[in-house]
Amino acid sequence: MYVLHAGEHSDSLVFWAESSEGAEARRGGRGSKSSRDTGSPESYRFAAGPGQLRRILRSVGITTTPRDTHRVRVHLPARGSVPIPSGDLITEWGGGHAAAAPPASPERPKLKQYGIDVVSLSAEDGTTLLCRVMGKRTIEPGVIVGADLAYMTDIMRLAGSMVARQQYLPDVEALGNGRMEASHHAVWRPVPTASDSERFDALSGSMPGAVRAFSRGDAPAESPADVLFRILTRMISHLVRASALMNAAAPPRGGHRRRKRFDSLHDAWMHQLRAARPGPLDGPDIPQFVGQVREWQQSITALADSPLHLCFRLEEPEGDGADGQWRVRYLLQSRDDPSLLVPADEAWDGKPHLPPDGRSSVREFLLVSLGQASGIFGGIAAGMSERGAKSGMGGCTLTADGAYSFLTGEAAALRQAGYVVMLPSWWTGRGTRARIKARADVRAPKVQGGVGVLSLSTIVQFDWTIAVNDKSLTADELQRLADAKSPLVKVRGEWMEVTAGDIRRAAEFLKKKGGKAPLMDIMKMKLGVYDGRGSPASQAGAGAAGALDISVDSKDSSILQVLRRLNERADLEEAAQPDDFSGRLRPYQLRGLSWMAFLQKWSLGGCLADDMGLGKTVQVLALVQRYRQGGGRKPFLLVCPTSVMSNWQREASRFTPGIQVMMHHGVGRVSGAAFKREIRRYGMVVSSYGLLQRDIPFLKKAGWGGVILDEAQNIKNPHTKQAQAAREVEAECRFALTGTPVENSVYDLWSIMEFLNPSFLGTQTQFKDRFFRPIQSMQDEEAARMLRRATGPFILRRLKTDKSIISDLPEKIETKAYCTLTREQASLYGAVLGDIEEAIAAAEGIQRKGIILSALARLKQVCDHPAIFLKDNSGATAGPGRARSGKLARLVEMLSEVTDAGDSALVFTQFVEMGHMLRRHLQETFGREVLFLHGGVPRGQRDKMISRFQEGAGPQLFVISLKAGGTGLNLTAASHVFHFDRWWNPAVEDQATDRAFRIGQKHNVQVHKMICAGTLEEKIDDMIERKKDVSRKVIGSGEAWLTEMSNEDLRDILALSSKATSGGDHAEEAGWEGGR
Amino acid sequence: MSWGWHYYDRRSAPEVKGGIKAQSKRGSFGQSWWARRWNETLDEYDMGERMARGRTYARKGQVAELKVGKGSVTARVQGSYGMYRVTIGIRTLSKAQWGTIAGKMLDRPATIARLLSGSMPEDMEDIFRISKLRLLPSTQDLRTDCTCPDWENPCKHIAAVYLLLAEEFDRDPFMIFRLRGIERGELLEIAGLWTGTGERGGKRSRGGGRKGPGAKPARPKPIPADPAKFWGSDRPGGDPGDAAVPNVPAALVKQLGSFPFWRGKDNFLSAMEEIYRGASEAGAKAVLGETPSE
Repeated sequence: MYVLHAGEHSDSLVFWAESSEGAEARRGGRGSKSSRDTGSPESYRFAAGPGQLRRILRSVGITTTPRDTHRVRVHLPARGSVPIPSGDLITEWGGGHAAAAPPASPERPKLKQYGIDVVSLSAEDGTTLLCRVMGKRTIEPGVIVGADLAYMTDIMRLAGSMVARQQYLPDVEALGNGRMEASHHAVWRPVPTASDSERFDALSGSMPGAVRAFSRGDAPAESPADVLFRILTRMISHLVRASALMNAAAPPRGGHRRRKRFDSLHDAWMHQLRAARPGPLDGPDIPQFVGQVREWQQSITALADSPLHLCFRLEEPEGDGADGQWRVRYLLQSRDDPSLLVPADEAWDGKPHLPPDGRSSVREFLLVSLGQASGIFGGIAAGMSERGAKSGMGGCTLTADGAYSFLTGEAAALRQAGYVVMLPSWWTGRGTRARIKARADVRAPKVQGGVGVLSLSTIVQFDWTIAVNDKSLTADELQRLADAKSPLVKVRGEWMEVTAGDIRRAAEFLKKKGGKAPLMDIMKMKLGVYDGRGSPASQAGAGAAGALDISVDSKDSSILQVLRRLNERADLEEAAQPDDFSGRLRPYQLRGLSWMAFLQKWSLGGCLADDMGLGKTVQVLALVQRYRQGGGRKPFLLVCPTSVMSNWQREASRFTPGIQVMMHHGVGRVSGAAFKREIRRYGMVVSSYGLLQRDIPFLKKAGWGGVILDEAQNIKNPHTKQAQAAREVEAECRFALTGTPVENSVYDLWSIMEFLNPSFLGTQTQFKDRFFRPIQSMQDEEAARMLRRATGPFILRRLKTDKSIISDLPEKIETKAYCTLTREQASLYGAVLGDIEEAIAAAEGIQRKGIILSALARLKQVCDHPAIFLKDNSGATAGPGRARSGKLARLVEMLSEVTDAGDSALVFTQFVEMGHMLRRHLQETFGREVLFLHGGVPRGQRDKMISRFQEGAGPQLFVISLKAGGTGLNLTAASHVFHFDRWWNPAVEDQATDRAFRIGQKHNVQVHKMICAGTLEEKIDDMIERKKDVSRKVIGSGEAWLTEMSNEDLRDILALSSKATSGGDHAEEAGWEGGR
Repeated sequence: MSWGWHYYDRRSAPEVKGGIKAQSKRGSFGQSWWARRWNETLDEYDMGERMARGRTYARKGQVAELKVGKGSVTARVQGSYGMYRVTIGIRTLSKAQWGTIAGKMLDRPATIARLLSGSMPEDMEDIFRISKLRLLPSTQDLRTDCTCPDWENPCKHIAAVYLLLAEEFDRDPFMIFRLRGIERGELLEIAGLWTGTGERGGKRSRGGGRKGPGAKPARPKPIPADPAKFWGSDRPGGDPGDAAVPNVPAALVKQLGSFPFWRGKDNFLSAMEEIYRGASEAGAKAVLGETPSE
């Protein structure tokens, strides 16, 4: 386990790592080295060595040489002589768990100097590294991104954004501290706009100490703002230089021109501004040159560095008249306190309270900034030409035309120049902004010979009309709008924009009158994704700049209804619970079923993205049942990760026992033509993503009633083989299930939508241009809204916290998560069985009981993880993506949904070793701290863990050894409880569950009991379920009741059934999609 | 014209490496109205051929050094037979006269605003006129001198220096104020507007004391020893702002204008434009976590 860190040392970025292994290796020889060499500080005992460090960097594709590593001094927190590492992740294991915990010391933490190994990278490699770890918590399992490193990526993003927007200037900077002669260097310095300054301040306020712990001297204390400014300047300089180098026709690097002579300092400066490895600028003219640079920049930097911002606020005229006066008011905003807004005319008189260093120069500031802004916005000068200084400070008035040009042009230009601009909400709320729209009025289809069935391919006729706020406009009315002096008009008390372009396009629509199109196109118009080739809408589609919004209306009730149902999911035909469905669907599940049935009827695909635990499985099973009840005969193909296959099998037999399920898995699986024959006997075929891609040749045209992808995030990358295979499968309907909020991840959405409704969002390139780039890099709200509108009807996501759902839900929901054994687990299980069977038969009385109890424990260990049974400290996985325990793989999948949703979870296990492994594995996988409470944790530490878990920002995952639980735990922050292994005693489990479920709990709690299918876990669970009513009395408080069973019964219970590994030795050849 | 003049003329002056080159390749020096007005004064001397030579000198970069002080300009110009020293003295206004001007300026905030933001307001001459003063010097306000052997004054060397100044006017309206004897800060102070920015600028120009955005003094702040604050950060999530590429490249540089007395080989503004245009792409990539150099 490593944590990769980043800091600033001698004006460049350095990277280093903490290591739990390093801690272990050093523990033996600690102290001896530092005591001999008194000149250098003690080694930080948790620091990774140079070799480890270089290996970590290699894993992100950065090659270094031993020469890149250095030993440096750093200040780190310590209590007494014990350093405090970045997290308990580092200390608590690596050797004996308890032994490594620092002795509780009453001393307050102090900074202490240590020696560590760091790598310094070239600016280029540093940038590459930061880009690669951006947004990640782990680099690979076991390598965690430290908060300081993540912080550096935030600076990099700010730098990138400022470079993109060109908020920087060429500059010259003196380096060197007081003792040495300063050397001068060419740099590109940031010039923040008002909102950049806010980001800058937020970043400097949250800088982790570790970033600046390398400063020279005994007590590093440089201000975070200075450090941040320097790092930002470095990053901006590098980004600009790198692109200048790339774009230069003849790269100026070449040869050994380090001593290149320049005719003038200006030439040298220009060269160094573009050079990959800029050298210092020198010459006797330097001081004069620096002065020139400052003077040249002054009018811009004076504003950028000021504690004040100038704001422009556009105010509407009072009343409705088109000739009312609009007003732009000038205000001063304090940088430190953006809520402090002072009218400029009052500030001119020095009346209101402004920040001290702002007040004195306020007049000059106002004049300079208004003067500069007047180059962009002419209204300022016009407003100030009246006599008297103060009168011009209040603001200026505009005509409606002037206001429009301010809104559409000058406002953005002012903002880019660094001013704050405040616009009325009816303008900025672009998503909901009233606009002139083209409306397709769809006529009822002419059906020959009576009532036909409306389908998406039905050709319908439509007429174009033009509407404003849902009110149709005649050509005359449109003309009247066109005659208005300004594009800003007030319609029914609401200001809105009607541009000449809108009116021209509207007129074109009216001229074309109408057309014919399949209902599918009408639906696309409704959703704003109609590409409209060869139709009046061929204005490059809605969403493109300058296009009119298109709405759809109809007097035909059937068309209106289908559009409404699609778009608003309103008054869907309510699907009844299918007859043969055992169990009861909750009201919201019935709504989900109705929605899926609606999409199915219209041959559309949908993504059911309900929160985990809301029962996506049962909704899908009900859909399949409904299909068969309606006479459908074709089987459904269900694709899921290997680790959940048995869960599907299990749930299907429980809720839809009438549906025959075929597990398509294992070496003996049917293939080719035989497969096609075989599946006719089944209602559902369950297979894995691995086999989907392997068997796609015969899977794709097997004649499916539907194809369903569970854990559909598996196809989020459209280029993977499994995503391609999924798109190839031919079926009458398509559904995807996922518990992660896909709608938030713009890029992933395309792949899933392409599977569900091919070509709906265009090609991937079109999608990137139209949605991905605008949304991700321009933060284009309009594009985001368009995307939501287009995909909304096909994604149904309900949260546990929805009011309408909560009322349907019990406060505690128990579900069972069935898992599959890996081949290793299965063979170990078999070996244990063989051992004990004879022993049990031979023994009697107390001895027999003892053997049985220990057998139970050993089998449970095998189900948990081979390493727990073998006690050999072997790894949690057999390599990336290769699980050793099916249960652990499943847990990771489920927890990733929990953490993605920002929820917290408790994980109970009865084996302390399992707890340690869980904690370590979960931390390495998720890159966040995981707590572990076991019997050996002292009381004080225990209380601290609990309070950290309970506060919102603390760790989200808490592993607890069942026996350590005891009483007095109040862990209501958790909304999920996992029982990793079972205590065959409902009372004990319930008590554990109740840790999370207590009075004061504001949310529902989901309890997941993890069970290995086909093993004793499943069978004992079944037994308990059967005798639930009497179980409390019968089984008392322990597991002893199991020892009372006959040998035959015991053999049945312990035996391994075939479904334990989903019907064969599959793990090897199918691969485990589970695990991350 | 004497034969002597023609004799000198045949010989071309040695090239000056890194001399100050006029940015204008043809036409007038300086685009602004007050630069034109400045040039008109020179035209009054009726220099004929010397003016044409002076223009060529300015464009070729024969001016090796140029210093502007209150009321005076000194320069070194490479001529055919050596490096000549040029001095131009300009009559300065008295403190009292500046007081009058500042008072009148205060009545016109728009004028000051324009001036402070880097351009010379059209009505500035009015302000001087109603105060019975002149902003731009007449020939009577100028004293010119050159160490060259040419007996005409102004000579082509003086003309070259004079024309380079005209180009600077475009960029910095305060240049003419300095030539007339007052610095930016002093003028603002007299007008009751100046409050120390100039001083701050002076400190900054020493280089090391850069504060970063916000002119607040960056108080040293001890590193927190509290492990949570040392290792972690309550990061606000880090919204970097949008990465929209502006339509007009290098707007900030263009706002500032070309670099004062530019000596570089490349044209300053077009080189900048090329750099800015290219860099935007790299920046937008970095925001998305795409390595810019790939």
